[in-house]
Amino acid sequence: MASPGDEGSRPNGPNGSLGSFSERNKREHSNPEIISALYEELFGEEDCERPCYLPDHREEDSRDAEQDGTVAREDKEKGGGDGEVEGESKKVKGTSAELAGSQMSNELDAGDFQEDLGARSETGHDDGIQDRDQEISLRNGASAEASFTERSVAVDGEFSSDRGLDALPSPTSSQGGTSGYMAGSGSSSASTSSISGIEAANEQDTEGTGSRKEERGARVPGKRHTEEDDSHPSWRRHKKHFFILSNAGKPIYSRYGDEHKLAGFSATLQAIMSFVENSGDTVHLVRAGDHQIVFLVRGPLYLVCISSTDEPSEVLRGQLELLHGQLILILTKAVEKCFLKNSKFDMRPLLGGMDVVLSSLIHAFSWEPATFLKAYTCLPLPYGARQAACGALQDMTDSGALFSVLMCGNKVISLVGSRKTSLHPHDLLLLSNFISSSDSFRTSESFSPVCLPRYNSAAFMYAYVQYLNKDTCLILLTADPNDFFHLKECRAQIEIVLRESNVLREVNNSIERGGLRIEDMPGSEVGPSESGSTRGDRASDDGASTSAPEAVPGAGGPAGLWHFIYRSTYLDQFIASEFSPPFTTRSAQKRLYRAYQKLHASMHNAGGGGPHKMQYRRDEDHVLLSWRTSDFELYAAFDPLAEKNSAIFVCNRICQWIRDMEAEVFLLGATPFNW
Amino acid sequence: MEERVQVCLFDMSRGQVEGQELDKILFFFPSNCPIPSQLSVVGLSEGLITFTRIFSPLTPCELMEAERHTHIFYQCEPDLWIVMVVEKVKDAEETIREGALRTVLKDAHNLFTFFYGSIRALLESHPRGDVARSCLHAFFPDYLSDFLTGKKFRIPTISESLTNRGTVQLFIPQRETLLEIQSLQEHLKSWFGGGKVRHVMTLFYNMLISTTLSPADASVLFLYATVRMLPSTHSRAPRSRSSSRRENPPGDPSNTLGFGKLRNLFTNLTTSQTAESMASPQTPRAYDLSVDDQGSKSSVPRPLQPEAWWKDADGFLCTYAWGSETGRVKVLPNVRLQGSEETLNLCVYQCKSVTLVMLVPKSGGSELISNLQQQLLEKAALRIQKIEEKLVKEWPGSNAYHVAGYRYLYSDLNNKVSKFSPANKVATLSMDSLAALNRIRAEIDLEMGRSERSSSLQDKELELCVRTKQNAWVIVTTRGGHELYTVQEKASNTLMYACDAVDKLSRRYFNGIFSSD
Repeated sequence: MASPGDEGSRPNGPNGSLGSFSERNKREHSNPEIISALYEELFGEEDCERPCYLPDHREEDSRDAEQDGTVAREDKEKGGGDGEVEGESKKVKGTSAELAGSQMSNELDAGDFQEDLGARSETGHDDGIQDRDQEISLRNGASAEASFTERSVAVDGEFSSDRGLDALPSPTSSQGGTSGYMAGSGSSSASTSSISGIEAANEQDTEGTGSRKEERGARVPGKRHTEEDDSHPSWRRHKKHFFILSNAGKPIYSRYGDEHKLAGFSATLQAIMSFVENSGDTVHLVRAGDHQIVFLVRGPLYLVCISSTDEPSEVLRGQLELLHGQLILILTKAVEKCFLKNSKFDMRPLLGGMDVVLSSLIHAFSWEPATFLKAYTCLPLPYGARQAACGALQDMTDSGALFSVLMCGNKVISLVGSRKTSLHPHDLLLLSNFISSSDSFRTSESFSPVCLPRYNSAAFMYAYVQYLNKDTCLILLTADPNDFFHLKECRAQIEIVLRESNVLREVNNSIERGGLRIEDMPGSEVGPSESGSTRGDRASDDGASTSAPEAVPGAGGPAGLWHFIYRSTYLDQFIASEFSPPFTTRSAQKRLYRAYQKLHASMHNAGGGGPHKMQYRRDEDHVLLSWRTSDFELYAAFDPLAEKNSAIFVCNRICQWIRDMEAEVFLLGATPFNW
Repeated sequence: MEERVQVCLFDMSRGQVEGQELDKILFFFPSNCPIPSQLSVVGLSEGLITFTRIFSPLTPCELMEAERHTHIFYQCEPDLWIVMVVEKVKDAEETIREGALRTVLKDAHNLFTFFYGSIRALLESHPRGDVARSCLHAFFPDYLSDFLTGKKFRIPTISESLTNRGTVQLFIPQRETLLEIQSLQEHLKSWFGGGKVRHVMTLFYNMLISTTLSPADASVLFLYATVRMLPSTHSRAPRSRSSSRRENPPGDPSNTLGFGKLRNLFTNLTTSQTAESMASPQTPRAYDLSVDDQGSKSSVPRPLQPEAWWKDADGFLCTYAWGSETGRVKVLPNVRLQGSEETLNLCVYQCKSVTLVMLVPKSGGSELISNLQQQLLEKAALRIQKIEEKLVKEWPGSNAYHVAGYRYLYSDLNNKVSKFSPANKVATLSMDSLAALNRIRAEIDLEMGRSERSSSLQDKELELCVRTKQNAWVIVTTRGGHELYTVQEKASNTLMYACDAVDKLSRRYFNGIFSSD
């Protein structure tokens, strides 16, 4: 679906056909039967072929990127020819950013993605996939390190090999039925997703994203308002902008609007930042009325958030850090080297279709407590079921995987790390966002290089990802790029164990049951004493002396309790209650979420006086109570008319309740994050 | 650039032509800062203002926080900006609160317009900007000198988190005495057929008792009275519990140096050392004559010149801060009230601890003043003396506002009045409590700013109780333009107990404004 406007700018003709290739790929991709048929065909015949890693080819490839690329692909190579087309056409990326297909072909013009696109074009070239095609595309996709090298080199315009980057495979070389296709497009798996995302998912299997979308109020994934730029009043009115730019001022990502049109704006941002930098300082925050502009410098990357939401600047800063982490998750820190080599390095092509991943993360900033709590949440499960799942994962982890994660949506069912290592909650969040926002993971099993920024920001790991059913996703992480088949076997075994031990059924039951509801809190009808008795009761060390609950009739739980979040310090896990009335609308939920964010920031502010122990806060909207001990943190929201003493009493009871259910709502025995 | 603090006042509408950027700068502190550095501060500020207008046209840049510096922006008049650049220090005690610093800038501008009128008006009447510049140079170094101890710039830090700048401290005597004072004020206003004495303000030491001025004007005049008029005239101030010269730490010599010294009328040798060290070469002295656009000579007053006030034998306070005209004729201090073009003269009478400030129109001439002085001495001096005696009797002592067990700050934002625990009591709080309080105040400042901008007519109502890391309770309640900050350092307290304690305080001392019933 190349937009016609682009055609004119391409001197070399074949791009039109490339556009249609990607379209064909889409169709192909969206058809699981074909995929699995291809898969059988591929691996049935070429069992011995290592689909994801070919060291020899990498050596070759890196010897002379351009030449080798062309040679390797021989006459079928289309991208190679385009690769020689000089920068001119690179600039003309047109307005078709929303169409990943055409975007890709544009990038091909620029010669940026010659390798990958070569692979892509090949797969698409003949609908019937021939062995040879597969071989080549596998090689290209799988020997991803080389292809990344070539890409960066090609972008630099110096076509010498760049071994400095050889730890860098292409972002996602997926494995599976359409391996050839996947290898190519999967190099940014998001490319497929952005197609589906923008084209309103009607071409894609809509079920795949179904549950999450519903949960989030039918958000259309991917970027919106792409037609805007900084001269549009509507663009200026967006409440929260995110920008990523290079330290040379090149736009890399903007949440709203077209990056190319925002080049001037991004140059202004860069000018401000470098002006301050030149004076030996670093700008962190600019505030103007309700607007805050938060800056984050990470190596050669500048990240900027412009927000008129009422979020504290520390929170926004944390969000920028996560955004950077998401980039690293896909590209590793080695991308910084490209900037060191060439400050004008254009990173956008590398991100191809990553918009959808970033947009989804940004969206999570306003509904996912994990983004500020630095903790993950678990799907409530009977203890036995979780033990069974952990057992199954543990066996596999012992046999090579670094981490095994079983997730349901954004909730963890089980997580096992080898050798007592643990996964940083942020890594888990970013990984989960990456996987859940890329539709390609839903449709087939994948083997994709990812980098866990907190674990090791310099190296890739490989994630084997397979959805076991609509919501449940198994992720196996390994350091060995050759581990695909091993992990595939592991997955099969895990799946068997999970089915046999009824874990998956329990998971479904849990989803049906939903999370904790404050109405279900036990003992809310029992009050120890009448209010007022607490005045003298100063025994409690943390100020939360017990007192009488007043069963407030009407909405919410006891004593006007509306909602709570409990975070276990040792487990790095949290549990939030389901939204009950009055939090029936999205805006009410968001308001509460923001209030929690603010409360959390206020509690944890590292500034003067150190973090607080307790906070009670009453305004027009809620009574919020936050309580921090060495074991846990509790955040609870009440009716604004709630009585202090009964609120305290209820908080104590929540803690007791959670402790009673600890085995079900938390993953016990998980090693806390400790490096 | 070694200075920890830079202050710059610039006009964005000037110096639009390339190469003439220097014309934007109306004042820069320190004056010995190299021109390129000055231009870079202005350039960055302008850039940020322009940039933030994209998103926030009505309230452009207010703050820039960098790794090593904080830049506080204050748009004092359209296109006229005061920017304060403060270097951050590691020392937690020196943690600043943006709101407190902005008030320093606001106070400066309020005082400036009180004496000279708006900067824009000066620029319009003298487009070359020299008059505005010489006024600013006559004013700002003196203003900033209050923040200097020795060569070090001391800005409001956490030790001031229980004070509120820009507000007035009240002493409310018994009802009868107060009525008497008010009737005296009305009596004064009725003289000369009424309307000649426009306003009266009565002070007891450095506390306000009563005034007929609007809260905004009262706070400016009160500030001036407490930082300049009174310190050099009272031989002994009561043990300061509400001194607005808090910027000078206790024991600072400059605080006590010149108290009570009667100055010779026309000596010009009194510029204090601190001001001297600040004064830039182009700073005009009190009598400095500057040539305005018309080529005529006019003197630029230096109203904040330290120790420029003294008490004459007849009880009236005099100053040479406004310079002197030929020979013996004193130049009367003149001021402008907000929203009024009229120039008023200050006539200040002091009877021991009581100070009466009267504002009379300049158009009345010096004759009016001397008539007023004469009449006051004849008809009112005795009355004032009696009032003074009563007040002294009623004055409960320097710890009058101390409430055992609490450290608090109460502000009535509508009337610009505040009341707080005595400084020596606040000093007993741990640094951690003060730091936590400072932080919480910053959070509240942000929230209040936000709700002010939002069109909601309702006043923000908020109750916030924080148990700090060291188990102190910091409790904030705001309601209907009133704010109460309290710190309790009783570790054994529970939330309920701490809140009850604040409730008791509110009921007993603040008419229960903060109590929810």
